[in-house]
Amino acid sequence: MADKNNQEIVIETDVLVIGGGIAACFAAVKAREQGVDVTLVSKGVIGRSGMSPWAHGTMAVPPEKKDKIRELADQAHVGGEYLNNCTWTERVIRESYARFQDMLAWGQPFLKDEKGDYIKPMSGNQEQEGRLWALEDGPGSWAKSLRNQPVKMGVRILEKVMIVDLIKQDGAVVGAVGITRNSFDLYVIRAKATVMCAGSGGFKPVGGWPLGDLTSDGHVMAYRAGAEITGKEFEDFHNGMVRRQGGIWLSNILPMTNAEGDSVPGFGFGLSADIEAHEGRAPLYRGEDEVFSGVALGLSVHTAEGVWPVDEDCSTGVSGLYVAGDSCATMIVGAAYSMGGSGSCNASVTGARAGLAAAGYSRQKVLPSINWEEFSELKDSVIMPARRKGGFSPNWVTQLLKNAMMPYYILRIKHADRLQPTLAFVEFMRDHLCPRLFARDPHELRLVHETKNMIINAEMKMRASLFRTESRGTHYREDYPLRSDPDWLAWVMIRQVNGKMTVYKKPIPQEWRPDLTAPYEERYPAAV
Amino acid sequence: MTLTIERIDAELCIGCGICVESCPTDVIRMDDKTKKAVIKYPEDCQLCGFCAIDCPQGAIYISPEKRTPLLTSWG
Repeated sequence: MADKNNQEIVIETDVLVIGGGIAACFAAVKAREQGVDVTLVSKGVIGRSGMSPWAHGTMAVPPEKKDKIRELADQAHVGGEYLNNCTWTERVIRESYARFQDMLAWGQPFLKDEKGDYIKPMSGNQEQEGRLWALEDGPGSWAKSLRNQPVKMGVRILEKVMIVDLIKQDGAVVGAVGITRNSFDLYVIRAKATVMCAGSGGFKPVGGWPLGDLTSDGHVMAYRAGAEITGKEFEDFHNGMVRRQGGIWLSNILPMTNAEGDSVPGFGFGLSADIEAHEGRAPLYRGEDEVFSGVALGLSVHTAEGVWPVDEDCSTGVSGLYVAGDSCATMIVGAAYSMGGSGSCNASVTGARAGLAAAGYSRQKVLPSINWEEFSELKDSVIMPARRKGGFSPNWVTQLLKNAMMPYYILRIKHADRLQPTLAFVEFMRDHLCPRLFARDPHELRLVHETKNMIINAEMKMRASLFRTESRGTHYREDYPLRSDPDWLAWVMIRQVNGKMTVYKKPIPQEWRPDLTAPYEERYPAAV
Repeated sequence: MTLTIERIDAELCIGCGICVESCPTDVIRMDDKTKKAVIKYPEDCQLCGFCAIDCPQGAIYISPEKRTPLLTSWG
């Protein structure tokens, strides 16, 4: 067993970047280009962590194609059912091509046709022509190249170090505390500015997309530091489907038939498979012998959940803290994922912006001295699970949480009668099980903190889902099955107030609202 | 049923440690005594397959057999 008399490893840096995917690498490189000292910390491995390895490609529109930019922005607006942030949508599309050029310059190969033009991914449809570019080796490509540029630029890299909490002092984030895998030593990283790029998260689904290391760490750390969170009521329908015959199926658009032999309408990024199950027409089949069950990922909509950026520089309203990638809710899409390839693109654009802004902020600051008395409380909360002699194992608690979140009738087909008791159970987990989690080794200490973060994320998802008393996009309430424009052209915001999770509305600006005098079918052309 | 890391062939493993570094969820560790890679935390395998892709020896086997408890949305 590792020595529980932990040592402290103190690192001082100008800009701390937390995460290991596209956003983190862009933030680190762009900050480093400004000549400041940058430290990049991933709990996994740069390029192999989070969602970035699974990207098929990236969206990139040449800036001169103004009509295409307009068309895409309009599609995201209608497809996201008016909950996208129009300013961010246009900003990200406009800057997509410059970031695509960065990716090429960093040595990430993209597929070309025989004429030498970049081409769309295999899974792309005609609508994606001219804007979505495929990685040469398909998913997994980033794993090979993403790490190279930060290394080349002289970014300090710490891998297999999980940042557990931010250090906040006098209202500003001044660094972070992390744990490692072979000992109970603590990393204390003192930083003038911090960029959170630790992704979003699910509930460790097994079968489906590999989200085992995405546990909402970034959202929860920023939430505890005082940032605003949004988008938690929506669901990502990149369907993970499990084949009974063995193996997992990661594709999301498949022709399917139900148990009665009828074809399943509109299967894809939607609810239809779950509705078939709800009505007693599961399992679903593809061909004669492939039988599928669904896996709820627990993610909200890509790029439309997480920390609310208060300004175009990806700042959070908490001094010294910036967010990028899936940690940052730019809301470039809204209530549904309506712009394929925008996740990678959003990560690169926000990563670059946050990195630049953090570098600028760090130049105006001196490294504040740590208030060690306050800090010792934070340190204890990080290491306490390893000091406990008994309690609950993180694997057991995670299993309970998965049992609660996975059934289709919690996150996908919702009703207050089910959300309310699930929230009560999640609160019990938060109040009674979490403080008693214990870690027998450093691996389990990581699991303890991941479990705590997933439980806070579950609480956010339950509260946001209860709060939005309508159905819109991927948020479907059986007890409120219709959209309600008068009440709900608004974002659901979450913030910690006096230690309590508080949920409230932020109205969509007037100029982004649909014309309420237009017929419903015109406002919602995709509605069945 | 689902894929999971099943076995690391100790004969083929040269103890380079690449798989330990490539695993995002910390499933694989080096055995202090044998200096070979071992599957230490199989329940945390997220089925990404990076270990098998990265292994220069082809020593890591991914199995179609049920090894990890599987929970589905409906069934």
